[in-house]
Amino acid sequence: MANRVIIVGGGGGGAILANLLQPHGFDVTVIDKSTSHFFQPGNLWIAFKGVSPEKFLRPIPSLLKKGVNYVNDEVVSVDLNERRVTTRSGRSYEYDFVVLASGAELDYSAVPGHRELLERFGDFYSSPENSLKLWNTLRGLKEGSFVIGVADPIYKCPPGPHKGAFLASELLRSRGLAGKVKVVLAVPVPHAYPSKTVADILEPELKERGVEIHTFFTVNEVDNRENRLVSLEGEDIKFNVAVVVPPHRGPSYNISPAEVKDQSSYVKIDKYTSNVQGFDDAYAIGDCTNAPTSKSGVTAHLQAEVVAARLLGYDARYSGRTNCPIITDGKGTFVISDYDHPPIKVRLSRFKRLMEDLFVATYWSAVKYPEFWSPIFKAYFDATDEFIRRGEGW
Amino acid sequence: MPEITVDARGMACPGPISALTRAYRNAQNGDIIIVLATDPGFKPDVQAWIEKTRNELVSLTEEGGVIKAVIKVTAKK
Repeated sequence: MANRVIIVGGGGGGAILANLLQPHGFDVTVIDKSTSHFFQPGNLWIAFKGVSPEKFLRPIPSLLKKGVNYVNDEVVSVDLNERRVTTRSGRSYEYDFVVLASGAELDYSAVPGHRELLERFGDFYSSPENSLKLWNTLRGLKEGSFVIGVADPIYKCPPGPHKGAFLASELLRSRGLAGKVKVVLAVPVPHAYPSKTVADILEPELKERGVEIHTFFTVNEVDNRENRLVSLEGEDIKFNVAVVVPPHRGPSYNISPAEVKDQSSYVKIDKYTSNVQGFDDAYAIGDCTNAPTSKSGVTAHLQAEVVAARLLGYDARYSGRTNCPIITDGKGTFVISDYDHPPIKVRLSRFKRLMEDLFVATYWSAVKYPEFWSPIFKAYFDATDEFIRRGEGW
Repeated sequence: MPEITVDARGMACPGPISALTRAYRNAQNGDIIIVLATDPGFKPDVQAWIEKTRNELVSLTEEGGVIKAVIKVTAKK
């Protein structure tokens, strides 16, 4: 009998893994409570460029190869000892291997006033619907300040708030509001970006566009009556419109034994193999894990390849490689690092912006046909890994 | 008084200061937070954090490559 693989989550990591395994005779089932897969960076385009959400949405089954089973149901528990996944509808699935790829969960109730803020303005972070709401909110903003804040140092897509600030300033400039609406970026860390090396590249660019930067500002409360964000560190910022990246946590479904989750509910894994700690037949990939690397699509993608290779019998390991794109209004750069090397200095260029735009254009194909795209990505990663090892950029 | 130890050894910048921020969120005035870090950037970062938050830096020492910051929480509202 073919090995039964249950994948919890049909986002980038889960779908790529399913499509890598299916041709090799595995009995693969993807379970997701959603019927749609949305390309998360697309939220920025919806919120700041008015692009239609449909462009970034696909039905999950359309992204899975023929032969992959898809179940539209919500997972409520995973029993690692009994090798069983149970869903909201009461169904139970036994497996030979399980892979948790359900992403991080966003907690809008952790910060007082945050949910109300989201309902007032939308955001560019959580969903296409909320991004569309922000696009409509920003249409009505003619003066004052647009503030982007962060409520916890650990969040997915570390450059997300910065991309938002660049695209917001571009949007306001295009509407002739550059001197009338101020863009403010507030971050929990000591520099404009978590990595000092990357902050040194971004900060002059942000300042050049008039973006006001607040460091050591961890949003702790949203005062919707006074329209101000209050930080854990004791500062406050007034806003006309604000977006706050919420605290994140790991999966809310039960996993037994409970010890495989950390204090924030992230699944504890071996950072190289993606094995859930203590289980050689269970893996977790992407944003739902406690791996000490960026919560980003590239991590989910590379971990999916590692898990696929391991299930095929190879001793593959994930290096912790990141390649997170940062875009300004015309240029791009990447946050390139791995477990053993901090981010290197990668200069902004129009070419790297083109690379990012090309990647966006190929995303759906890369998810469905990873066997075609992986060698191309691998060639790029191999070439740039040399730069990481030498501690220099390109 | 409660003592919270944050072991951020092996974490690269800004891991230690991020770990401190997360511990600070759950702390109360009077608590002691001890942060252990190996990233050299932690020293100036924690000094800047103290200046910003107006908490008390009881001591900042380094021994065998491990930086130890002892912080008394005094400024939480």
